[in-house]
Amino acid sequence: MDIQHTEASDDRPSRRGFLSLAAATGAAAALGLPAFTASAAPLRPTASPLLSAADAARNQLWWRTPGSADSMIQQGLPVGNGRLGALAGNDPAGELLMISDATLWTGGANDTLQDDGQFPYGRADFGSLTLLARLTVEMDGHDLGAADGYRRTLDLAQGLVTASYRLAGTTYQRQIFASHPDDAIVLHFSQQGGGTHTGTIRLAGTHGETTTASGAGPCVSFGASFANGLKYGAAVTARSSTGKVAVDGASISFSGCEDLTVVVSGGTDYAPDAAAGFRDPALDPERLARTKALAAAAHSADTLLHTHVADFRALSGRLDIDLGTSSPAQRALDTWERLQARYRDDVPDPELEAAYLRFGRYLMISGSRGSLPMGLQGPWLDGNDPDWMGDYHTDINIQMNYWMADRAGLSDCFDAFADYCLAQLPSWTDITRRLFNTSTNRYRNSSGRIAGWTVAISTNPYGGGGWWWHPAGNAWLCQSLFEHYEYTQDRAYLEKILPLLEGAVEFWEARLLTTTVTDASGAEREVLIADSDWSPEQGPLDAKGITYAQELVWNLFGNYHTATEVLGRDSAHRAAVDALRERLYLPVVSPKTGWLEEWMSPDNLGETTHRHLSPLIGLFPGDRIRPDDSTPKDILDGATALLTARGMNSYGWSNAWRSLCWARLKDADRAYQLVVTNLKPWAGDGNGTALNLFDIYQVEPGRGIFQIDANFGTPAAIVEMLLYSRPGHVELLPALPDAWAASGSVSGVGVRGGFVADVRWRGGRVTEATFRSVGGRSTTVVAGGRTRHISLMPGESTTLRNL
Amino acid sequence: MRSPSYPTPHGAHTPSVRRAMRTVAVLATAAALAAAAPAAGAAAQAGAASPAGTTASATTAAATASAAPVRAASTPGASGIAAKPYMGWSSWSMQSSKYPGLNPDGDYSYLTEANVLKQTDALAAKLKPYGYDYVNIDAGWWRDNTWKPEFDQYARQTPDPVRFPHGMASVADHIHAKGLKAGIYLPVGLEKEGYADGKAPIWHAPDCTTADIVYPDLRTTNGWDSAYKLDFSRPCAQKYIDSQAQMFADWGYDFLKLDGVGPGSFKTGDNYDNVPDVAAWHQAIAATGRPIHLELSWSLDIGHAADWQKYSNGWRIDTDVECYCDTLVSWENSVNDRWNDAPAWSHEAGPGGWNDLDAIDVGNGDMDGLTKAERQSYLTLWAINKSPLFTGDDITRLDDYGLSLLTNRDVIAVDQSDAPVARPVTPVGDQQVWATGNSDGSYTVALFNLGSAPASVTAHWASLGFTGNAAVRDLWNKESLGTHKDQITEALPAHGSRLFTVRPGGSPLATTTYEAEAPDNTLTGNASVATCDACSGGKKVGNLYVGSKLGINDVRVKKAGIYTVRVSYVSGDPRSVTVYSNSGNGTSLPFPATGDWGTADTVSVQLALKAGTNTITFDSGDGYAPDIDKIDVPRSA
Repeated sequence: MDIQHTEASDDRPSRRGFLSLAAATGAAAALGLPAFTASAAPLRPTASPLLSAADAARNQLWWRTPGSADSMIQQGLPVGNGRLGALAGNDPAGELLMISDATLWTGGANDTLQDDGQFPYGRADFGSLTLLARLTVEMDGHDLGAADGYRRTLDLAQGLVTASYRLAGTTYQRQIFASHPDDAIVLHFSQQGGGTHTGTIRLAGTHGETTTASGAGPCVSFGASFANGLKYGAAVTARSSTGKVAVDGASISFSGCEDLTVVVSGGTDYAPDAAAGFRDPALDPERLARTKALAAAAHSADTLLHTHVADFRALSGRLDIDLGTSSPAQRALDTWERLQARYRDDVPDPELEAAYLRFGRYLMISGSRGSLPMGLQGPWLDGNDPDWMGDYHTDINIQMNYWMADRAGLSDCFDAFADYCLAQLPSWTDITRRLFNTSTNRYRNSSGRIAGWTVAISTNPYGGGGWWWHPAGNAWLCQSLFEHYEYTQDRAYLEKILPLLEGAVEFWEARLLTTTVTDASGAEREVLIADSDWSPEQGPLDAKGITYAQELVWNLFGNYHTATEVLGRDSAHRAAVDALRERLYLPVVSPKTGWLEEWMSPDNLGETTHRHLSPLIGLFPGDRIRPDDSTPKDILDGATALLTARGMNSYGWSNAWRSLCWARLKDADRAYQLVVTNLKPWAGDGNGTALNLFDIYQVEPGRGIFQIDANFGTPAAIVEMLLYSRPGHVELLPALPDAWAASGSVSGVGVRGGFVADVRWRGGRVTEATFRSVGGRSTTVVAGGRTRHISLMPGESTTLRNL
Repeated sequence: MRSPSYPTPHGAHTPSVRRAMRTVAVLATAAALAAAAPAAGAAAQAGAASPAGTTASATTAAATASAAPVRAASTPGASGIAAKPYMGWSSWSMQSSKYPGLNPDGDYSYLTEANVLKQTDALAAKLKPYGYDYVNIDAGWWRDNTWKPEFDQYARQTPDPVRFPHGMASVADHIHAKGLKAGIYLPVGLEKEGYADGKAPIWHAPDCTTADIVYPDLRTTNGWDSAYKLDFSRPCAQKYIDSQAQMFADWGYDFLKLDGVGPGSFKTGDNYDNVPDVAAWHQAIAATGRPIHLELSWSLDIGHAADWQKYSNGWRIDTDVECYCDTLVSWENSVNDRWNDAPAWSHEAGPGGWNDLDAIDVGNGDMDGLTKAERQSYLTLWAINKSPLFTGDDITRLDDYGLSLLTNRDVIAVDQSDAPVARPVTPVGDQQVWATGNSDGSYTVALFNLGSAPASVTAHWASLGFTGNAAVRDLWNKESLGTHKDQITEALPAHGSRLFTVRPGGSPLATTTYEAEAPDNTLTGNASVATCDACSGGKKVGNLYVGSKLGINDVRVKKAGIYTVRVSYVSGDPRSVTVYSNSGNGTSLPFPATGDWGTADTVSVQLALKAGTNTITFDSGDGYAPDIDKIDVPRSA
């Protein structure tokens, strides 16, 4: 073993690049806009932050065909600035952007329960995420059928969509990006070879709005409000250094333009403030959209691009991954062909598999910065009726969306999730206290007491719940929120979320029931169990002591202990909660099935291969159940048997969760196979990965819908196969599959306990591992069957070699 | 056309809910026009027609199959008829459409002397310089606007005086005066209304009346059962055909479309065997001394291809291209059927007789009912299949794009060239590549995207038998695309196409052949070795159905890579097979029909092979797969 203590520096080129960019923009740590508001002038880089063509190519997906306007959710390429999201079609004859705003929600507090004590779940009452606008840029004479060499790329490192093609001797190129610093989406059209652009720009609302020309500049816009009072608006402007750009009725026409820059902005008056009714009354979204579009368009396309790329790279550059080298034949295929070949031939394509992780990171940087967090689809819609409202599902989906954030070097992107929970807390508390114990609610507290907060299975951004009460949802949200602290060791953050933990603990203090159970030995003991609940989303509707709730409350109480200890708070209450935790019932293995029980019953009361792994929450994301001596063998075996019974053939997010569990069990083959299953190309039926790499779930024959959680859960699994951590303990390459074993590396991986790790391997063995403390002090590191212990001061790093 | 009195359902052989509904609408319309129509019966029978025909054909065609079985028809002769696929215009597309204003005096009323002369003049002015020279009058010239037929005293169809006030000879004269050729139309058999209680005399046949030309039981024939079947064991029947042929010759016609011909026209069975009718027409036309092109319609039975080749100059391989809707055609009904149906016929066409894919309605824009991409693809498929090129458009109203399609000399040259009919060189999924070799060593290559979203399509030179560089010319966009190594990929819009001339500059592809029947292969389930005269080694592996598999073992390559593997196979009808290498999942690949069970063709598939030995498996899955002859694996990827 060879431990070298070094100063907090890193001579890897990519890391150095990131640091200099961060310094240049000052934007890396700044978590922008809580809403669509006026913002300070962006910091603009003085030098080009663009990657060299070769470096860019490593991080690009590419296709030889544009997307279909009829299949944008499967074929449109996503861009986003953390609030605004858009899908781009990239057809030469008509660029199409379907633009969403993460805050453009119908619905409201939804605090009138149905007769059954549960929540309404409609687009008017609970609400739905909807599309903001549809932007088209029609290019006269640019028929795809006449274009040669068409190619479009998604640059995952720089946050760019690019399309190019040759037409009558001219090579045309377009770039599309959603700028966080300029709070706008930019489309830049250029050419080489003497051609020009002529056509029309149209901006249309999707709710029947009227687009009009506005006074200043060649700008058209619309503004309107929903029945819930939410005001919103969008605007587009354009400029060219040659040719003519002019408002023509409600559209903008352009002709003879050698280059053309189109800038669109938009937003709502949503504010993450329950006290203000989730509105900012001072905000005129249409006017602000115009202001922002025109302000951005005052800068050159290069300036806008450089500002965006510097900002984007500051995040994208925090992790790099190399799972091995793909063959020249694989590299010659475009991304869609590669997915098809991967499935057809069953030949590993490590670069494609790494690209899937890069794509997940791209989506997170694009979809989760400074606004609302990502729900079931993030800010990417192709219509106004997304399945399940595009909402926040609290019984796996929002948690899974953020499993990847800290693991993959995007801790900053997690904040949207935490900030959301904090902003909702007053409403969640109010609604819980007023309505949870409604007599018709089958999940009400038998104790008759009520305290703290919980949520429904679905939540919206207005403090409202939808569908059914989800008592244990509070504990699962807290599990995710606390884990972020474990990665970052950010005390201020912990202080911020403490009220959420406290409220959830109080809820359970009021809810837990005492009962007597008989152990296998025949001994009786008194335990605490959760009141009536539904193990998501199967089996008996109201069962007491379900494993899901028991595990989550056990986790919650433990995290509360740590949090109050770290923050030096409330030791008396901590001790009381500790005492409750000691008495919590924990699941046993069914003598009938050999599985860890999902319900307090030896019988299988649900579907054997059900999508949810709720009873395995102690295996992942929890780590109460571990493949080491700390976990009784029968529990480990029961969990493994249950996971085995759930099977290997589910869909997107469910496969991702399975893969994560198998990674925790160090079964590399199964963990990898589930990743591969999610890469199955989706072409109209079944489940799998669409042309644009969005994960598609077939909800019914012939109808596939986008579920973004798999796009995050699967990369989380990839990372989990390379590195397992819990505070004080790290294992390197716990489940490295043969396909990636030859040689590879990953840098920038988050480590629970407050570190960031870089790992290199060859022949399946770690050759070098570097740990940098972001707040952590010490941890054990296990690799190759050997254990080391490292101690670092925050900011320090150390490299282990010859492991 | 399909005479509206006795409509047959579109697409009855490819049933779908939507089509079935449309069929009802067509039937309803027709029933109002002709109460006597046994419409429902026709609909019920039609679906069963083709399978039996296919089975029957197997032995016949097998006897004549050869490596390149392009068969010369009997009729090109000195007259040069159909030496190349004919080009021109036909009246039926506009007659059959519900497009506003086309048929102001009732359904099918477009057909008038004035309209024919108008189109003649437009054809002469706009399209004749490009080779379009036939003006073909379709059904109805002898029917009034209520679709009531009219006959002369000899039971011969006679022009409706309202539609053709100056008679048919006058029209032919006008057409000839423009340097064009005149075409006319008849349904096969003796139309029922012409029977005249058996009392009508036959022209120039003193001892014959209509009673002497049919069967005593008045059995009916043709695709609509609209005629009594002629009994050619009775000499008077030939006299009747002679009298009609002479009438057309006297009028000056150069072309006859004989419609409703069976086996075909959704009919099988003795009553619908019109081979004797076609033979009689062949004889009668010869007897007139006037060269008259004889074209047969519709959905002719491929099992009788030899008959059609012997007696005619072209045969419609499919149902009407027209949609009988608010436009002339629509993509789904039934332009796109041809991609599936044409490959079976690829070996049947040649000088003297061609596979007729029906009208090309690509010139009018909105009235065609197609996107620009669809219009181009439509004409591309017709050209590479060497189909007759006759438009059903309003030639007086061609839009710029339509005119550019119809007058693209490079594309017309593909149609009129002496190259064999193109075949798919890939499986025929949504994206497909067709090709044929030209006499100058170049290839004509068409890319198609039949999917409803844009898609890229790749032509691998290996599927054409060579490797390295090739110069590519884009025929539609009229530009050189430079040199492409090993392949070309282009993005195609939904239902789009590209048409290239590919001129190899590389070298022939070195391959290793692996026979399906090799003893070391793994045959699973019912798979078994069978003799096959057309196959390499005289054997193939067949009975690949319902779970049966063929594993070709010990496929050796030196370098890992993705290879273009050429598969030789036999499949009388289109069949799919899942093909994979080693542990791959494979892809279910639709192979186009080879036409019969005695002809072998090839398609190329992409497969990853590892360095060393590999197994390539053909898995029938839960269906019926083609018989496999052999595979040719490139020595290097």
